[in-house]
Amino acid sequence: MIFPKWTNWLPLALGLGAVLVGGGVAAGVTIYLTPKYTRAGYQPVQPVPFSHQVHAGQLGLDCRYCHNGVEKSWFANLPGASTCMNCHNQVLKDDPRLQIVRDSAETGQPIPWVQVHKVPDYVYFSHEVHVRRGMSCVKCHGRVDQMDEVKHDQSFSMSFCLDCHRDPASYIRPVDKVTSLGWQWSTNATEAAKLQQTEGQKLVDHMRVETLQSCSACHR
Amino acid sequence: MNHSPTSNSANGRRYWRSLDELADTPEFKDWLHREFPVGASEMVADGSSRRHFLKIMSASFALAGVATLGAGCRRPEEHLEPFGKQPENYTFGEAQYYATAMPTRTGAIPLVVKSYEGRPVKIEGNALFPGSNGSTDRYAQASILDLYDPDRARHFKHDGKEVSREEALNFLAELSKKFAANQGEGLAFLAESSTSPSRARLQKIIADKFPKSQWFTYDAIDSGIHQRAATQAFGQPVKPVFHFDKAKVILSLDCDFLGDEEDVHNHIRKFAAGRKAGEGMSRLYAVESLFTLTGASADHRLRVAASEIAKVAEFISCFVAPQPDIPPPVSSEFESRWAYECANDLMANRQKAMVVVGQRQPLEMHLLAHAINSALGSIGNTVELIPTAENFRADLKNLETIGTDTLVILGGNSAYTSSLWPFETYQQHKSRRAGTIVRFGYYEDETAEKSDWNFPATHFLESWNDAITSDGVTVPVQPLIQPLFGGLTELEFIARVAGESQANAYEIVRATFGGSNEAWKKSLFNGFVQKTVSPVANIRLTKEALVQLALPRSMSPASLGKDNLEVIFFRDAKVDDGRFANNGWMQELPDPITKMTWDNAVLVSRKTARELGVANGDMVEITLNGRSVKGPIWTQPGMADYSLGLALGYGRERAGRVGTGVGFNAYKIFSGKYIETGATLRKTGETYTISCTQDHWSMEGRPAVREANLDEFIKEPAFARESFHGKEPPIVQSLYPNPLDEAKKTALHQWGMTVDLNACVGCGTCVIACQSENNIPIVGKEQVGRGREMHWLRIDRYFTSDPKRKNNPSRFSLSADMNQKDENQQFAEWIDDVQAVNQPMMCHHCETAPCESVCPVNATVHDQEGLNVMAYNRCIGTRYCSNNCPYKVRRFNYLDFNKRPLTELKGTLYSTTLTHKTAGEWDLLRWWKDSNSGMRTEDEWDLIKLSKNPDVTVRMRGVMEKCTYCTQRIEHAKIKQKAKAGQTGEVRLLEAEGTVPKTACQQACPASAITFGDVSDADSSVSKLKALPLNYSVLGDLLTKPRTTYLARVRNPNPDMPDYHAPFSTEEYESQSLTQKGNS
Repeated sequence: MIFPKWTNWLPLALGLGAVLVGGGVAAGVTIYLTPKYTRAGYQPVQPVPFSHQVHAGQLGLDCRYCHNGVEKSWFANLPGASTCMNCHNQVLKDDPRLQIVRDSAETGQPIPWVQVHKVPDYVYFSHEVHVRRGMSCVKCHGRVDQMDEVKHDQSFSMSFCLDCHRDPASYIRPVDKVTSLGWQWSTNATEAAKLQQTEGQKLVDHMRVETLQSCSACHR
Repeated sequence: MNHSPTSNSANGRRYWRSLDELADTPEFKDWLHREFPVGASEMVADGSSRRHFLKIMSASFALAGVATLGAGCRRPEEHLEPFGKQPENYTFGEAQYYATAMPTRTGAIPLVVKSYEGRPVKIEGNALFPGSNGSTDRYAQASILDLYDPDRARHFKHDGKEVSREEALNFLAELSKKFAANQGEGLAFLAESSTSPSRARLQKIIADKFPKSQWFTYDAIDSGIHQRAATQAFGQPVKPVFHFDKAKVILSLDCDFLGDEEDVHNHIRKFAAGRKAGEGMSRLYAVESLFTLTGASADHRLRVAASEIAKVAEFISCFVAPQPDIPPPVSSEFESRWAYECANDLMANRQKAMVVVGQRQPLEMHLLAHAINSALGSIGNTVELIPTAENFRADLKNLETIGTDTLVILGGNSAYTSSLWPFETYQQHKSRRAGTIVRFGYYEDETAEKSDWNFPATHFLESWNDAITSDGVTVPVQPLIQPLFGGLTELEFIARVAGESQANAYEIVRATFGGSNEAWKKSLFNGFVQKTVSPVANIRLTKEALVQLALPRSMSPASLGKDNLEVIFFRDAKVDDGRFANNGWMQELPDPITKMTWDNAVLVSRKTARELGVANGDMVEITLNGRSVKGPIWTQPGMADYSLGLALGYGRERAGRVGTGVGFNAYKIFSGKYIETGATLRKTGETYTISCTQDHWSMEGRPAVREANLDEFIKEPAFARESFHGKEPPIVQSLYPNPLDEAKKTALHQWGMTVDLNACVGCGTCVIACQSENNIPIVGKEQVGRGREMHWLRIDRYFTSDPKRKNNPSRFSLSADMNQKDENQQFAEWIDDVQAVNQPMMCHHCETAPCESVCPVNATVHDQEGLNVMAYNRCIGTRYCSNNCPYKVRRFNYLDFNKRPLTELKGTLYSTTLTHKTAGEWDLLRWWKDSNSGMRTEDEWDLIKLSKNPDVTVRMRGVMEKCTYCTQRIEHAKIKQKAKAGQTGEVRLLEAEGTVPKTACQQACPASAITFGDVSDADSSVSKLKALPLNYSVLGDLLTKPRTTYLARVRNPNPDMPDYHAPFSTEEYESQSLTQKGNS
């Protein structure tokens, strides 16, 4: 007998091992390398404890009051400290948490906000064309008006972009509702989903929204 | 968006600690920083064994593994730093445009400059300027790279040592005080010519304040001769404006008005306007020795040595402006018949004819041309004379004789560009005179080396200034950016020397302008002062000029031969007089005629080369007036015999990282005369390699460029159609459906382009514009020699010849050209009298693109609007696409050209991070610290980052790239239109509404030869052009269905001329296809 008896189990052991190792590698790659896990959920601490929940949610400030480049440029823009001081020279004007903001407005030294949302350098994304053509902020950034600290809500992977680029009708909304993050086609969820399809398609047809899936749409 | 010193990771929460903590332990750091570099530096030091190499490589892989786990999957923390005070009317990410102008020697080019976040990235012509089509020349396009040149002068220096700005300015103040006291005794200025009214005003102040000072103007390339000749001929300060668009017959006497003269972009625009195919198109006769762009565009070209062109000119003048003498003899019967018929043609088109003489020709020739033009009635019609300020000019030879104490050099690089001017003498006398040389300049160059004080100059994009264009309009020069290295503007420098209380350049320009604030703002906005300059009416030749014309002229005493050669010094098409020597774009631009990069050469004709026994690449020594210079030989088709063409501007010793040591310095034998005889040439026995982008000169009988004479075009307007001369194979329709045909139905636009070969003169402006717009790197001479140049747009230049002169016209016999080595072309007799054709060639965006079907990873695909797009991130670099491209327009990044240090451009080997050190630090370690900068030093890296266009990806090694039809401009236009449309359907770009973007090449083209637009819009100009009978596709029989098509060229030769024939390319094609039929 050339092979001892335990070798009968060898193929099974090898197969099992391969499955375990392969599964481990797959899980590792998924968790460590895919945008769904590497990006979504990212929530850095900002130098100023600014609350979107208070400003955008409770006070109802429009997104565009601070992010004033969003309709003009690819970059939404972060407000200068002088914008903050428009209100905060009256409200909470001695609050120690706002010391950095006051200093910045006075000296011009920028506040080092930590970037949360970022697309890779080879992606040329434009806020302008999305928000002015009925893509709501909420689709990519989530309910920022309910976030105390901003966190990365969606994966921003290429397939995330393509979901909408393949089927804009399921995501589009009237242009004037773009910054109303909680807006729905209807208060009834099933009704809203139905309306999204029918009304969305109407919008797509009326606005001649293209289903841009070729490389040149985002990569140059 | 940099890490600011105020923030660090300590105050932030960390989500991805994993191996970070390990990375922070001292042990880990120690291992990382010490062991690895130590082992590797050993390898560098003693050459190392293979085993050692493997050990190091495995260590680096291990390191890479750690890096991936520890850092790779964790995003780096980046900061967004907004303004403290938000400026008004500024949106981050949106380009801003400002009007300015680039001053040239005798004028200025009005510009509009695009700026992102305060840094200028692209230069365009000012389309608002009266008469302009928004084009520029290649120098203007390339000048933006000079702004970001790491070798710019950055410091104030005294005796080679850095001094503070205050110290340097104090010196100027003292200087001014000293000479104010003695009325400027012993003070001399040496400046380059300029048209700036503000400078002229300061010059006047200096003349008043320092009456005994002297002002000299020196330009290595003297373009002021046109003005001086006109002033002398007509007895009042005037300068000529040539209207090539109004002329029906143009005779160019050694005048390369489409190439190396000043103001070329205007000339090309006007010339192209007069050359619209059809009745009434103009006819160009060129008499020249060098083969120039003008000669390439000419209908009749006579090859005559430059020193003997005067004979032809006199011969013609005898018929046109009758003089009592009998015509002086010209060299041959052919020449006299040529000149006679040319003169007849000029006279048959009185008032619509014009004669232009090149700037390198002597003043007498210019006077003669004015006499001919007067006799033809051209003055006031095709040649207008506009009033101008007289240009001050003093003979440089006086500089030696006057007792100069202080010499102030304003710009220019006279120590390099003039070997004769008394610099050397001045240096010798210096000890005696205790003189000081104060130099104001853009580079620390050859002149700076010889100066005592050096003041860094600002770029024109950093300066306030003004200028007057060649047609007399005043233009302001406004800065786009603060001086990067804190230099002085020219006006501020002069004002400080003059001791003016107001030394602010803006205030000086504003004061010169005068007028209301509203008018001033308007002129800044428009980029010019709204003022038309009316030509001087009723102007006549002066008696003195006529008398001088009648005087006998001494023309080349001895006839030319191989022992009495003629030397022609000319302005280089790329580096100008040497001022663009450190500009990588210019060095790498193939010369429009020779297609040579990174070099100049001794241009000779085939016959001269044969008699002298030299061939391409042989080093020769040229001796002229006892001085000599060495350079390589290049046989130039169409060159006059016994002429040597030497481009100025090369062989710089202190140009910088790019330009030092490129080519040879022809100034060594230059004495201020551009044409000299009496040179001898000796072969040294050495050889030299020249990197030429188009070694093969012939089209081999393929009708890539299609041409016809005007009469044939009138008979058969559609001569260029696919079945060119009935001999092109018919196009077979494909069996398979093209997915694009389906996509077309819903797409908003279909992009396409036409290139008008009739308008294109081959100047190369588009190549540089494309390079600037699309972040195209330079690769260096050695890489060009390997065919790795990265230009997305190239200009193919073919020479065609009378098939009878070709020994064997068949491409199927062994001895035919095609099977001949490229080196042997230079000995072929057919190259003596050639016609040249230029063809811009870039990605054709074929509807059925052969490149797409062979890409294994779908990295190159079609989009719905007909663009053949490249997804760089998908590309794995198989290069199949390039192999399968019939037009050879795809470019592959063989190396990481963007990360190569400039000093490596001239190296023979590409060094890797493993063996290379930057600033004394091992590159692999630098890479570990900052993976971006590659092997470039910090200053180079910072500047190159500023110079890039943020709209276009900077490609890395291993990626294929090519013309994208400027997809970034298309996308930008589409985004703007869609944003404007909002909740409506008005999303289509329409040419009628002016929303269709221009490509960079199209915008820059002075001839408006390139038209881009929507071919699905029947009203667009590109659709209309494609409907013309002249429209044809190159290699259309391959069923590539290219979106870029060409408009065939129409020549307009004179049937009475002795050299009248069908275009050589057509004759060649006919004869070769006959042979082909016979053979098959």
